Amino acid sequence: MEGATMDCRTALEKMARNADGLLPREAEAELSGHLAGCPACAAEDAAISATGAVLRVLTGIRARREAPALDAMWTRVRAGIEESGEARLHPSWIARWAWIPAAVALAILALLFYPAGTDRSPFHPSTFDVAVEDVESEAATVALVDKGEDLPRVIWIIEDAKT
Amino acid sequence: MNERETGGVPDDALIRTTLAGDDGAFAELVERYKGRAFAVAVGIVGNGDDALDVVQDSFIKAYYKLKEFRFGSNFYTWFYRLLVNQAIDRWRKSARSAEVPFDESWLSEDASPPDAFAYPQTPEDLLRDRELGDALQRALDALPEYHRAVIVLREVDGMAYDEIAKVLGCSVGTVMSRLHYARAKLKESLKAHREG
Repeated sequence: MEGATMDCRTALEKMARNADGLLPREAEAELSGHLAGCPACAAEDAAISATGAVLRVLTGIRARREAPALDAMWTRVRAGIEESGEARLHPSWIARWAWIPAAVALAILALLFYPAGTDRSPFHPSTFDVAVEDVESEAATVALVDKGEDLPRVIWIIEDAKT
Repeated sequence: MNERETGGVPDDALIRTTLAGDDGAFAELVERYKGRAFAVAVGIVGNGDDALDVVQDSFIKAYYKLKEFRFGSNFYTWFYRLLVNQAIDRWRKSARSAEVPFDESWLSEDASPPDAFAYPQTPEDLLRDRELGDALQRALDALPEYHRAVIVLREVDGMAYDEIAKVLGCSVGTVMSRLHYARAKLKESLKAHREG
C-alpha cells in the first residue's frame, strides 16, 4: 500500500532503524506520514516497537520477583570468593593426589613394553646376519657393521652424542 | 548505570582499590551493576534462579580476573563479556528449548484477558496477558544464543551497537544483522499472538 510519501518496502526497512532511534528526523517524519495512511505498516511498526518494550517488561517482572535475592548478591558473591579462595589455597585431597593413578598407569605401560632382555643395549643392532657396510644418517649417530670371517666387527661412529 | 550516571566513585578507582586489597570497593561494583547484569542474564537464560547464579558466578570470575582489566576501557563492557559467556554456557547446560514453557509462576490466578490491539507497556499489562509472555519467551528461546544476547543487550540494557560488538567480540555489522533477525522473529511472535 502507498502511504503519503513512501512505499511499504522502504517503510519496512526504516522501521527497525526507527525502533533503535537511528532514523534521521526527516526520514522519521516521512515514515510517520506513511504509517498514518497504511494500516498494515502501522501494525508492523507497532509490533516492532513493542518488541523491546515487552522484553523490558518481562525482565522487569522477573527482576521484581528476584529482588530479595538480588539484594543479597554481594553476600552471595563474597561467599563464593571466599570458597574459591580456600579451594585455591587448599586444594582437595582428590586434586592433590590425582597424579598418582596416572603415574601408576605409566609405570605399568613401561613394564609391559620395555624389552625383557637385560643384556641388550638399545644401541646395538639386533642381528649381524646382514652385512651393512655403510649406514648414513642425518642424525648424530652413524653405525658401520661388518660381519667378519670369525667374529663380527662393529664400528660405531658417534657424533655429538654420548655413548 | 555507571559512575558517570550515578555521580559516584569512578569504576577505575574502585578497581584499583579492590586490587589494593579492599573488597569493599568490589562490593560497590557489585551493587552498581547487579541489576543490569540480572536483567541481561535473565533475558538470555530465561529463568530467574539460573540468572542469579550467572550473575554471582560472573562477579566471582571478574574478581579473580580483575588484574587482567585494562584501565581506560569500560568496566561494564569487560564485565558483560564475562556475563554473556557465562549466561550462554548456563543456557547450553540447561538444554532449554523452544518447547520449554514460559515461567508462569508470577502470573496471578485472576488474570483477565488483555485489551485488544494493545501491546503491554507495563508489568501490570503483561500480567493480564499470560499468553503474550508465553509467546515472547518461546520466540526468545528459539533464537540462536548470540542473537538472543544481542537483542537483550540492545533492548533491555540499551547498549549501543559498538558496545555490543565489543562485548560479543564481533563487528558492528554482525550486531546489526543479528539484531534485525532477532527483532523480526520476536515481532512475528507478537503479531501472531495479536492476530491469533
